[in-house]
Amino acid sequence: MENLEELYNAILEGRMDAAQNITENALQKDINPQLLIDDHMIPAMDEAGRRFEAGEYFIPEMMLAARAMKAALNLIRPVLLREGAQYVGTVVIGTVKGDLHDIGKNLVAAMLEGSGFEVKDLGVDVAPEKFVDTVKETGAGIIAMSALLTTTMPSMKLTVDVLKQDGLRDKVKVMVGGAPLSPRYAEEFGADGYSENAAAAVNLARKLVTA
Amino acid sequence: MNSRERFFSMLEGKPVDRLLLMPITMMFAAKRIDAKYFDYVTNHHVLVDAQIATATAFDLDYVSCISDPTREAADCGAAIKFYDNQPPAIDETNALLADKRKLGQLKAPSPYKEGRMHDRVRAAAEFKNRVGEDKIIEGWIEGPCAEAADLRGISALMLDFIDDPQFVLDLFEFVLELELSFARAQAEAGVDLMGIGDAAASLVGPALYEDFVLPYQKRMVNALHEMGLKVRLHICGNTSRILKGMGSLGCEIVDIDLASMADGREAMGPDQILLGNINPVKVLLDGTPEIVTDAISRCHEQTAPRFIVGAGCEVPRDTPDENMYALRDYAQSHTPALNR
Repeated sequence: MENLEELYNAILEGRMDAAQNITENALQKDINPQLLIDDHMIPAMDEAGRRFEAGEYFIPEMMLAARAMKAALNLIRPVLLREGAQYVGTVVIGTVKGDLHDIGKNLVAAMLEGSGFEVKDLGVDVAPEKFVDTVKETGAGIIAMSALLTTTMPSMKLTVDVLKQDGLRDKVKVMVGGAPLSPRYAEEFGADGYSENAAAAVNLARKLVTA
Repeated sequence: MNSRERFFSMLEGKPVDRLLLMPITMMFAAKRIDAKYFDYVTNHHVLVDAQIATATAFDLDYVSCISDPTREAADCGAAIKFYDNQPPAIDETNALLADKRKLGQLKAPSPYKEGRMHDRVRAAAEFKNRVGEDKIIEGWIEGPCAEAADLRGISALMLDFIDDPQFVLDLFEFVLELELSFARAQAEAGVDLMGIGDAAASLVGPALYEDFVLPYQKRMVNALHEMGLKVRLHICGNTSRILKGMGSLGCEIVDIDLASMADGREAMGPDQILLGNINPVKVLLDGTPEIVTDAISRCHEQTAPRFIVGAGCEVPRDTPDENMYALRDYAQSHTPALNR
């Protein structure tokens, strides 16, 4: 029997090769892939998020953990899909139009993937129409937008406006984040939620998907 | 007492007539003269006009060459995206050092030849000509972590710290040489104070900060002092965990962004001049003059007497004038009785 506790440690400590090896071995031994995710990988990312919020982990440690998680997930995901497993939900994510800052957005995307969401990452400089078009194509239930500049924040409201124009506002939750934002600002333009960091974003997405 | 007398007196611990007022203005300054931000960052005449107009309107004690973090990377050949009315930004998907092997062939561009760096040097010279008798002139360079992130891509750099530490050290060596040559050109043009912007340094945590970033910041600060410059350190973001290191650098002024001013004072001791740190968006942009006055007075109380009035980071473009007047009025109505 594979020591699956090591999978938890490998992801938490950002050891990508170890995470891949343990996962491969576990799959060869027909260990339930959903169990790998639910009992070991998601708890590891949750703990990484807790350490980040507590000021024990910083961006490099978070990125390493996310990379290890993603590498292991890439092995598991095809097996799960063959077995008909479902994602927790689908999130369309991007940095808004005119803004090229993506480290926070990348971290949120990786954490969401690690938590069982399907993530459509549109990258940076994403126009409101692009967010909405991707929702139409994928049936995503959440749009997650990031901005680091006060000058680009208004693009978030424009995205909400396009959702309304297209009659989709009630079908899609909108979550936002980024240094210049505040919960008040997010509420004012009609977002469904704001999160201050990547770990909080995952918790928010979990709430929104069941709301 | 003019701004220069006030600034140098404060640094020397002598009495001054009022608090210094040195918030960072960039887009706010461009808007003041109805200039597009593209023109501000590409034409030093526009930048100088806007800075002088803003310093005059709000009685700021300084003018600054700061505009955006991409000047050095642009001259190195990095892909930059320009916008009509907001700062240019690095296109990280096409980072100059996406392939680490390119570092060996990379040559530091000259700040004396035409380019974005030279445009800043010319701004410094024009400031010297126009307001050099009255205002402090601030030059600007990127810190080791910020410039390394601009050249390599910030996400890649964060992983490099763990995956390939020697590459990070080699890149920091390149950056140090680049930035010091840029600083020297600005010093020759007449700046009094050099701002170091090292935004990415707040992302790495205390261990990596002290092992990698701090030694290069220290070499940078020492070299700037040898050029006869005063030094201001500005690290955007949450610096709570690295305050002590920041205070060990010997900078004349340390800005605090997203950390407590009281923690800054405790970590850096009574002699360090601290600048900040009202929230640029929640207080300065969205607040009222009363909220601004209340917030800046709390910053002052936590750090007096060696304190300079300013925001945590750049004053947002659409900040109401009355909020900036509130900052000005606070500085003008407070006279530190004892500076040291």
